[in-house]
Amino acid sequence: MLHLLKIDLKKLTGYRTFWVVCGLYFVTLAFTTASGMEFLKWLAGKGAEFGQDLNIKRIPLYHFPDVWQNLVYISGFFKVVLAIMVVISVTNEFTYRTARQNIIDGLSRRQFLFSKILTNGLLSLMSVAMVFFIGLVTGFIYSPEIVVSDIFTDLEFFPAYFLEVFAFLSYALMLGVLVQRSGLTIILLLLSHMIEAIVKVNIPESAGFLKDFFPMQAISNLVALPFARYAFQEIQDFVSAGAVVVALGWTFLFNYFSYVKLTRADI
Amino acid sequence: METVLHTDKLTKTFGRLCAVNRLDLEVNRGQVFGMLGPNGSGKTTTLGMLMGVTNPTSGSFTWFGERATHLTRKKIGAVLEHPIFYPYLSGQKNLELNALIKGADPANIEKVLETVELSDRKQDKYKTYSLGMKQRLAIASALVGDPVILILDEPTNGLDPMGIAEIREIIKRIAADGKTIILASHLLDEVQKVCTHFAILRKGSLVHTGPVEEVGKGEEVVEVIAYHDDLPHILHEFRGSLSVKSENGKFLVRLRDDFHSVDLNKFLFEKGIVASHIVTQKKSLEKQFLEILQETTSHRQPT
Repeated sequence: MLHLLKIDLKKLTGYRTFWVVCGLYFVTLAFTTASGMEFLKWLAGKGAEFGQDLNIKRIPLYHFPDVWQNLVYISGFFKVVLAIMVVISVTNEFTYRTARQNIIDGLSRRQFLFSKILTNGLLSLMSVAMVFFIGLVTGFIYSPEIVVSDIFTDLEFFPAYFLEVFAFLSYALMLGVLVQRSGLTIILLLLSHMIEAIVKVNIPESAGFLKDFFPMQAISNLVALPFARYAFQEIQDFVSAGAVVVALGWTFLFNYFSYVKLTRADI
Repeated sequence: METVLHTDKLTKTFGRLCAVNRLDLEVNRGQVFGMLGPNGSGKTTTLGMLMGVTNPTSGSFTWFGERATHLTRKKIGAVLEHPIFYPYLSGQKNLELNALIKGADPANIEKVLETVELSDRKQDKYKTYSLGMKQRLAIASALVGDPVILILDEPTNGLDPMGIAEIREIIKRIAADGKTIILASHLLDEVQKVCTHFAILRKGSLVHTGPVEEVGKGEEVVEVIAYHDDLPHILHEFRGSLSVKSENGKFLVRLRDDFHSVDLNKFLFEKGIVASHIVTQKKSLEKQFLEILQETTSHRQPT
């Protein structure tokens, strides 16, 4: 298994685009998640101009355990950057025809796919580690008092975040395998949410429960929007088991569709 | 002799087009096996099926007497159609990747780069290579796993005469090491120069297979030049001649079976004539190839 991961990483680490995209991803992810207080200050400043008083001290954005869900939720928006990298990596294999040569050289088709899935897993894990690290640092900086049990509360958002990123990367991989052209695949990837929204608008009210089963919706459902709690609203501050099951199901299907396509087609 | 490759009614259709039609082939260890055929005769499709990237429509094949898996492919070094590498990686990095996939010893990389004379440029990105260098790197990648069999598909395609000669030298050197080589080509001359056995494909069907040595067997044609006024007459008198033709100041004598140029020379000498030029024309693979293709065409259309 490590052998397969090594093969795919060897392809990527010599590829400058990979370093640039991943570098941009991790840098923007880190800066965005770490600069929440700056944003609040800016917001307070703007509010003051209009005579509104916003006491940012009373918004516990980075306090344990709030920090976990807040950061994980925001980080979810950046996964599309990683997904584009995954699309480039897999469609390159078809445009350069290197997938074909890999198989001629002695990889099985399943191993080829597995090497890509393993990279997806690694990228997801690195995202989790990054967000956890930033949450930990900012939490220690901004929490008024450190309560150990608070630090360990709500950590379930990290497995959920892992699944969110991994499911989306699996989706990107599947699109790449099916479409095989990078430009078209990236456009489809970016439009996925909109296409799904158009479909969802058109389902009748009576079948409304189906909406949670749509792939993009299922991925978003893993981590609910937390910020409404600072406007005295009820929020879902836990990971729902139903959402996890649906997202897991889609993740399996995405990779299974890639597998079917790769094993049946002439490469 | 040990059978390395055996195909049994191997067939591939693309929609209505039958690219490979019930192909039966057998390649034995140590052979340099040439697959000949015009462009589009199904050579690459056949090799694609043998290397697991094209799914056969029907029929089967075995490598080393077993059904093929990705593990068998690790023992084969193959380049189909044209060299395929990651353009943004250096030659060295590309070979490291090939070695990783094949589970080969990375120490081989230096050796194979030496074999194809690419050591100086190994750190340069693949996309900066000339066509000849790409072809040579492809041969290096096929060799990196120290394969039992080497499959080369049009290895000299698009090369200049010097490049062609270099690649031919490399192939001969590898063959001398005792490796089995399957060489697909539409260049008959190339196959005749390096192969021991050959097969001819036409529109996906096998039309001929056999050793290259047998090419040129059968009746001999001898070119003769000698200064004698009555030469054609005398040549006709020779017991072994079938026919005598004059061409560009030479006489071409077709001999009966079991007669050779030596006999003709002796005969002339006895008649008191000394030939200034006496040469047996080699029957080329090209001639035989065209003959075979012609035969099969006329068989197909019995009008």
